Amino acid sequence: MTTTIDARSSWPLIVIAAVLVVLFVPFSSTVMGVRYTYTLRTVAIGGALLGAVSGAIGSFAVLRKESLLGDALSHAALPGVAVAFLVAGRELGALLVGAGLTSLLGVAAIRVMTGYTRIKEDAAMGIVLTGWFAAGIMGLTYIQGRPDASQAGLDSFIFGQAASIVRSDVFLLAAVSTVAIVLLITFWKQFKLITFNAEFAGANGFNVTLWSALLSTLVVVAIVMGLQLAGVVLMVGMLIAPGVAARQWTTKLEAMVPLAAIIGAAAGGIGAVLSAVDRNLPTGPMIIVTASAIVAISVLFAPQRGVVWVVLTRWRDARRFAMRTVLRDVYHYVHDHSASVAGVPDSFIAGVRGRPGRRALNRLLARRMLRKTIDADTGTRWNLTETGQRVASEDARNQSLWDMYREAGLRLDLPVIAEQRDRDIRALLPPQAIDALTDLLGDKEGEPRVRY
Amino acid sequence: MYGIEQLLVELATRLASIEAVNAFFRDPRTTARVVGVLIAIPAGMLGSFLLLRGMALTSDAISHTVLLGIVVAFIIMTRFFRMEPDLSSPWLIIGAAGAGVVTVILTELVQASGLMKQDAALGLAFPFLFALAVIFVARYVENVHMDEDAVMVGEIGVAWANTNSHPIGDYESVVITADDPRAEIVRRCVNCVRDQINPRDPAAEFIEVCSNCGEYSPGEAYRAGFTTVRPVLVYWPKSVTVALVMALVASLFIAIFFKELKITTFDPELARSLGYRPTALNYALMVVVSLVAVGAFDAVGSILVIAFFIIPAATAYLLTNRLSRMVALSAALGSAGAFWGYDLARGRLFGVLPLPGDWDTSISASMVIMMMVLFVVVLLASPRSGLVAVWARRRRQRRTFVDMVLLGHLDHHINRVFSRESLEAHIGWQPEKLAAVLDRLERSGRIEIDAGRINISRRGHTSLAAFRASTT
Repeated sequence: MTTTIDARSSWPLIVIAAVLVVLFVPFSSTVMGVRYTYTLRTVAIGGALLGAVSGAIGSFAVLRKESLLGDALSHAALPGVAVAFLVAGRELGALLVGAGLTSLLGVAAIRVMTGYTRIKEDAAMGIVLTGWFAAGIMGLTYIQGRPDASQAGLDSFIFGQAASIVRSDVFLLAAVSTVAIVLLITFWKQFKLITFNAEFAGANGFNVTLWSALLSTLVVVAIVMGLQLAGVVLMVGMLIAPGVAARQWTTKLEAMVPLAAIIGAAAGGIGAVLSAVDRNLPTGPMIIVTASAIVAISVLFAPQRGVVWVVLTRWRDARRFAMRTVLRDVYHYVHDHSASVAGVPDSFIAGVRGRPGRRALNRLLARRMLRKTIDADTGTRWNLTETGQRVASEDARNQSLWDMYREAGLRLDLPVIAEQRDRDIRALLPPQAIDALTDLLGDKEGEPRVRY
Repeated sequence: MYGIEQLLVELATRLASIEAVNAFFRDPRTTARVVGVLIAIPAGMLGSFLLLRGMALTSDAISHTVLLGIVVAFIIMTRFFRMEPDLSSPWLIIGAAGAGVVTVILTELVQASGLMKQDAALGLAFPFLFALAVIFVARYVENVHMDEDAVMVGEIGVAWANTNSHPIGDYESVVITADDPRAEIVRRCVNCVRDQINPRDPAAEFIEVCSNCGEYSPGEAYRAGFTTVRPVLVYWPKSVTVALVMALVASLFIAIFFKELKITTFDPELARSLGYRPTALNYALMVVVSLVAVGAFDAVGSILVIAFFIIPAATAYLLTNRLSRMVALSAALGSAGAFWGYDLARGRLFGVLPLPGDWDTSISASMVIMMMVLFVVVLLASPRSGLVAVWARRRRQRRTFVDMVLLGHLDHHINRVFSRESLEAHIGWQPEKLAAVLDRLERSGRIEIDAGRINISRRGHTSLAAFRASTT
């Protein structure tokens, strides 16, 4: 059960994220002067709920590389709203069911096009996205042209209209969210399996088509719930952004999904609150911008794979590499020219290693591994200090042992290990093996076989 | 733009009378159709290349950023330069098209960094750019030409009303300077607003400004009463000029670089080794796509323009295997959709069939729906790649395959005597399936059933041999 142990190690992260989100409420009311009116409370809670459930479901879409499918599906929900209005009138439940139906029809159309014709998936998604959307716009404009006034606000499904959300909508949202989350947890194993290895799942008797369809249905459910708040154009952001952000912080699905839910809730809640700062800030777009900001922060600062982290590691590695190389250069130069020389000429290192070599020389000087002598006749020369001598000879010996291991490891029947030359071989092989290699090395110990 | 427009007016008035030109464009239906077709042609041609290069969704990405570019350019023009905002201004077009190309480069960079997959990068970029644009529109723009509705669906229906007037003949434009007797000089307080003081305050400083100075075109001069000569004017829709220029740019680009586009589309590696530059050409294509998307924004909005790129191209892709034909067909199909779209918006399918109800729907959306109708027809009925053809072919292949499996068994066990029952036990198929296959084989004379004994006939042998030869 290594999985759970690793997953547990990311729980602090999840808890910290949750605490930060909760702390935003007092922060916004004191520092930013936001007043939590009834409308704002409703909208913020609705946004947070929606963000949580769509973040959790969207994580799977992100991992299954179906982000753009989400975009197509949310656009495809629009004609359903129009048709449902024509059939059933202004009834929120009916509108959402209609939206879900056309959205599912969109999935089916994409599957037929890609399965039976030469149209590729990207084109099929583009066709469904624009075609269905145009049908929706046409339907809405048709409805607007009719004399009765009950259609007012129907086009708020395009960009979403947070102010239209009332308490009963939040209850509906909470109920559907609970069902979706329960489904997600109940069929966790199946969803995980088809997400990461659909062939394996199929070969082991899981009905991949069924579970994929259920997952797509959950995505559609999330989209439909978000229509009122974020609208068809922006809903995909609610679906994708939390998953992408969470993915940067963890490599475990068990941690990613809860984290995505928290990030989604944060984006939904904070976006709604921020939009209350100014009358002219629309809620849906603010939520999306907040979610995108969280993604940007994650992409920049996440440990292991964030941009900042990667750049810093790369610098550190380059520095270490240059220092090690230059130390070896000095060591071998002295070795080759016997003790007669007064040290390595500055120009040698600079000529061979260039500017990084010079910088490495100064770093080694600061670490007291090299000594610098400036002489009017011979110019600047570098020598190993005692520490430098010890480190360099240790390294040379280690490299010789590695050479020997590569040459004779199989013949001597030594344990097989990966060649990691920057590590100490004595820590990786048993003492008997080291002894055998040392014997073989004989008096050539410390002599370089491979020049660096 | 204005200079090009004057050329066009000149040309049009040479070909037809002034009244005819004015009457032509005063009809909302013709103007909408002209603009629609002028957008559909370049979009359809460019869309073919995008589709074949697997970049269908790049047009999606471009249209989203172009929107943000337009909104930002719009705000900069009005807020910082105090210019009259105009969606047909070349600066705005160039700026927004530049934004489109920048997105493409940015998404490629994000993808190259390996932090997220391409689909996730695009899936994030679309709503984010759109959300920013909507926020900017809601917060900074108070202008009739730019609201959320225009962003979604464009204003092709009122393209006929948004015109420049061009005088025909020699009319002089009138310049009013400050020392002209007709100039209206007013005093304006320069520090009242800044220092929040009353104009009566002694500290208030005034300058004299001319409120109506500037250059007046003959039409404007007549309307303002500076001249009594009523000029003969041609009212030329601005959208027509923009769309026509973009169509010309795109057509020229495709005509000049057709060979290069073709080879880089189908075999970029070969193109590179032959000394072409696929990357440079790719960016050039993106620039042209952005230009067309910006030019179309005014008329059809930022989402429906994607349809103009993708749907006709996909339709043409189902009809032909030749690139040149695909490009031409795509432009033609797009034009057809745009042409009939206006009528659909007013409730007439293909211009003749009246639909029930009172129709007054979005014209740009209807144009897309007409393209969609054509697409569905082709999708079902295309002779080679249509669904009906594919289903029929797969059915035929399945049948041939089971027929041959059965014949193969009979041939392999030529010395055994098979009855229906023993064959069913041997081959293990459902009885109904076996019966259907046997029936088909017997009717075509490839097996003979003689008193319950099933034998492969001479014709069966021939057909099996032919099948084996064709598969090896």
